[in-house]
Amino acid sequence: MSGTLLSVRDVSKNFGDVEALKSVTLELKRGDVVGLVGGNGAGKTTLLRLLCGLYKASQGGVVFIDKTGEERPVHEVRSNLGVVPESTGLYARLTAWENIRYHSRLNNIPDRQAWNRTLRLARALEIEDDLQRATRGFSRGMRQKTALIRALAHDPEVVLLDEPTGGLDVTSARRVRDLVRKLGEEGRTVIYSTHKLNEAEQVCDRIVIIHNGTLRADGSPKDLMDETETLTLEDAFVSLTQDDSREVDSPEPASKFQQFWSKLTTRNKTPKGGD
Amino acid sequence: MRDSVSRIWTVASKELLDFVRDWRTLVALVLVPLLIFPLFFIALPLFLQGEMAELDQYELQLEIQISNDELLPNYLIEPFNSSQLNYTLVSLDDNLENLSDNRIDGERIRNGDPHVILRLDETNTNSTESWNYSVLYDATSELSSEGYHRVMSIIQIWESEIINQTLTEANLTRSEALDPIHWDGDSDDGNVATSGQSAGLALSMFIPMIVAIWTASSAIQPSIDLTAGERERGTMEALLSTPAKRVELLYGKWVAVGVVAGTSVLFQLVGLLFAVAFLMPPDTFGIPALSIWSIASLLLSVLLFAIFVVAIELALSVRAHSVKEAGTVLGPFVLAFIIPAMFAQFVNLEGIEWWWFVAPIFNVCLAMREALLDINDISHVALWLGSSLIYAILAVTWAAKQFHREDLVESLS
Repeated sequence: MSGTLLSVRDVSKNFGDVEALKSVTLELKRGDVVGLVGGNGAGKTTLLRLLCGLYKASQGGVVFIDKTGEERPVHEVRSNLGVVPESTGLYARLTAWENIRYHSRLNNIPDRQAWNRTLRLARALEIEDDLQRATRGFSRGMRQKTALIRALAHDPEVVLLDEPTGGLDVTSARRVRDLVRKLGEEGRTVIYSTHKLNEAEQVCDRIVIIHNGTLRADGSPKDLMDETETLTLEDAFVSLTQDDSREVDSPEPASKFQQFWSKLTTRNKTPKGGD
Repeated sequence: MRDSVSRIWTVASKELLDFVRDWRTLVALVLVPLLIFPLFFIALPLFLQGEMAELDQYELQLEIQISNDELLPNYLIEPFNSSQLNYTLVSLDDNLENLSDNRIDGERIRNGDPHVILRLDETNTNSTESWNYSVLYDATSELSSEGYHRVMSIIQIWESEIINQTLTEANLTRSEALDPIHWDGDSDDGNVATSGQSAGLALSMFIPMIVAIWTASSAIQPSIDLTAGERERGTMEALLSTPAKRVELLYGKWVAVGVVAGTSVLFQLVGLLFAVAFLMPPDTFGIPALSIWSIASLLLSVLLFAIFVVAIELALSVRAHSVKEAGTVLGPFVLAFIIPAMFAQFVNLEGIEWWWFVAPIFNVCLAMREALLDINDISHVALWLGSSLIYAILAVTWAAKQFHREDLVESLS
């Protein structure tokens, strides 16, 4: 267990009758840069939300293990986590710095300390001139970079990134990948959720494949290719997930009334004259 | 505890900064409430005067039906001319049942030709002069109604002249004949209520209702923006991932909504009181005479009501996935505040049953009414204070429960 920072123990998550995750077990060590790979609705976002304590597991649990070996539920140690959700979650009327400062203050980080760290990160991502601009006019790439700085400004041990290069141009995406690799070199644990297998292969030293809510594979890209006797990670992924896929779109179970109303107001009408 | 307070303040100050940055919100929640009543009190009289002046410009067609043209009193000719009533004289039809019989001329008036008909028939009485008359007009036509008012005002002056003439011939004054029993002195002195009490009574007839309605309606937009709006924009997930406890986030948002709604209500009240004090005719309203106890009671009732309302609106809107969904729920829900607030205005305070002071919304409205009337009944205060506290605590608890919903991280975006 030594070196383990986050332990996912036999975690299942149900939304009503839908099993979004089934008995997932994972050990995430300090300095791991883990690529969380899977198709749409495979359960990646659900797992990420379980990892940062936004969801409560229906079975099992996620624990954070500190350097002394003490285990604590993950929702109690959120100041050790830096999260970049897929939507970035920036306030449009606030400047980039105000967005970052807001989260830093909620993490009990003094403004001066947060500012110094923000400046360093902003220089690395080349947005230091935009820190005092309202994020309303930011491009997708600028928003993504700001969200990344916001997640790192309180110096977390674990960084959870949901599609961090989604919508970025080639240069910006490369800068983000460089930063992520650097985070791993600094000894931080990074969980990098992505659809892009080549990107996962470039950035991550370990790949976790989630499919239909189950953990299908966990190992280095080379291990996965050897295991499936394929030459590329993409082939390995296809080989490991070739059964029927299903997507879990909404984790919110509809109430009985909602189900009834939906049935009443939704009809499958085929246009007349069609085949 | 210190960390908790600091986080609540961080959330509240960020939300307030966000509000201040949005000029449209500032206009809607601060400037409009401040100016609406003064503008209303200035603009409405000006508008009405303008419309009346516009109608005054019209020359209207008056048909005077009289048995004999020569009988038309000279007194009427000049006023008709100066009132822009172009009159024509026509013989009175002998087949009329009475002068108000509109069977023959009704259709003509509905067609606007003429606008109004005056029928006159002299009668014999002991008076100097005596006439039967009727005025035919179409109340749904602005011009016909205007003609009616012009004719009626001339007839009233004419009648008054005839009365004066008759009284003079009988050696009587108007006061002796028409006002034989009269009030001695200033009738206002008979009312022993002080001007402060009278002002309190007048204000108690509408201030509690509008404060309740304004509080409920002012909190809607910020409540939705800070909950369903955050979910829709996808900012909620990042916020919930911070170490701040959900209840701290709720309290921070509650403070921000409370400040915004409170400011809006305060500005509306300032605007209303300014309009009442400076733009209404003098002596309409005075300054209510309130004891410190009543002022404290008034402020406390508004504060507890605001806690209750804001918590409920936050709880309802946090359940919605989108601003549209939250608006659909909260829009009609405000009726649940408005209707009791309106009914509470008509509850008799004399011998009032105790349970009115524990009924939600009624209790604070009645508390405000009693405070404005400077009624300090300890049992009533205990009832509304206790019940309001319980409602506020229940509402905040429910809101906190809603804020712990797992699906809060879900966003349409």
